[in-house]
Amino acid sequence: MIIDAHVHIGKSARLQISADGEFLVRVADDLGFDKICCTDLTALFYDMHEGNRLLYEEMRRYPDRIVGYASLHSTRFESEALENLTRCYEVYGMKGLKIYSTPEASIAEPWTIPILEKCVEFDMPVLAHTTPAECEYLMTRVPQCKVMMAHAGGQPFAFGDWNRAIMMAQRFENLYLDTTSSTLDAGFVEKAVAVLGADKIVFGTDTPLLDPYMQRTKIAETRISKEERELIMGGNIRRLMGIAA
Amino acid sequence: MIVDICAYFGKWPYWPIDACTPAAVVEELGHCGIDRAAVLSTRGLFVGWEEGNLETEEAVRGFPGRLVSFACLGPLELSHTLQGHIFDFDKLCARGFLGVRLYPQYHTYHPLYEPFVDQILEEAEMRQWPVLLPLRVIMNWGMPSLSLDWMVAIVERHPRTPWILSGINYFHELRAAVSLMRRFSTVHLETSCVQGFNAIAKLVEQCGSDNLLLGTGLPLQNGSANLQKILRANIPEPAREKILGGNACRLLRLEGSQ
Repeated sequence: MIIDAHVHIGKSARLQISADGEFLVRVADDLGFDKICCTDLTALFYDMHEGNRLLYEEMRRYPDRIVGYASLHSTRFESEALENLTRCYEVYGMKGLKIYSTPEASIAEPWTIPILEKCVEFDMPVLAHTTPAECEYLMTRVPQCKVMMAHAGGQPFAFGDWNRAIMMAQRFENLYLDTTSSTLDAGFVEKAVAVLGADKIVFGTDTPLLDPYMQRTKIAETRISKEERELIMGGNIRRLMGIAA
Repeated sequence: MIVDICAYFGKWPYWPIDACTPAAVVEELGHCGIDRAAVLSTRGLFVGWEEGNLETEEAVRGFPGRLVSFACLGPLELSHTLQGHIFDFDKLCARGFLGVRLYPQYHTYHPLYEPFVDQILEEAEMRQWPVLLPLRVIMNWGMPSLSLDWMVAIVERHPRTPWILSGINYFHELRAAVSLMRRFSTVHLETSCVQGFNAIAKLVEQCGSDNLLLGTGLPLQNGSANLQKILRANIPEPAREKILGGNACRLLRLEGSQ
């Protein structure tokens, strides 16, 4: 089973994208992906209540294809964020949490901690758009939380530093790396597998922001074993999110 | 014939690269299904462009059917000495270099305020040498990058020089490149850092396919993934063939060009 663990649904002015479930499922069909794990852009960047509800509607339209991440635009909403996360888990059936971090609103702050503790309680992995240093802050405080470092350091705020991301994931048992990235540096996947093992690496595409064929090829044609490739391209996220066949 | 207009060989000082020799790069090209690549030595970026050009020349001599050479050019003087030498463009031609690459972000100069840059660009116009100017060498946010405004300004100053814009990623960068390509038929875009969803199809729709060139950034970037975005792009087959190699053959006057 191939699962894309990093897909965006909805609309973002900053990212200049707009995609509904129908479009994303059609793209997944073209790519041969069985399931896509989606975050709603309105929830991520504007209003968690509205965005997560919209994602729930798309999940109901495509229950066998779309897996939902609850998304929070900022953990600074504290109890309101906790309540929305609980609703996403208990009512909407979402299986993970996506949080975004920027220099002006970092998630490496005290109010993120109760959110991560709630994720531990719900056994929800967290796809965190963070830098390796931010991950260090989070993992030292809630080491039992399963955190996937989105883009494995290969994003602007982390300066493309996947070497540091690998080092950080080596330090923390529950820190995973997401391969989604506009960085295409040769050797990244091979090194991550060699240092961390394939079971700590999760495949994603960032559809509809990035070209998913490139992201797929990055894993599909990497010089790793078939078993390692299967873990990265679906086995790991399936285990982390408890996704049924 | 599939031609990669933007490849390298040599050491990468930021992290280890498996395929750093010319032979290893040729093997990688074969693995990806790419017939030929325009290369230069990364020594030219980090140590000295003349030393790098010597290595590039030697690499192409070793693999004449697989590699073609671009000369790396940069400042003529060292910071602690007077100007030591001049560009010998005839000699560069005789040595088989088919184009020029400039790396202001690695050679610490401002492309708009250095007379040697204008000298190179005027010479390139006269000889119809393509000049590759990278916004960034690879699509990694931590690497040095050039100002987009500088890139646009230098192209506008030398609109008859054959340009290859390189290292362009998405959003405003891509739109600036599209704008330049629409205004000047001399401006080309290589694809090694273009990453957006449907980006290649959009580029073809906006600018046609005559000025788009496959670039991979091998061996610093993943060559197969960069090739796939052209192979899988929703574009007409003749356009794909041009991007994969036809345009590069024409621009570099390689065998097989029409």
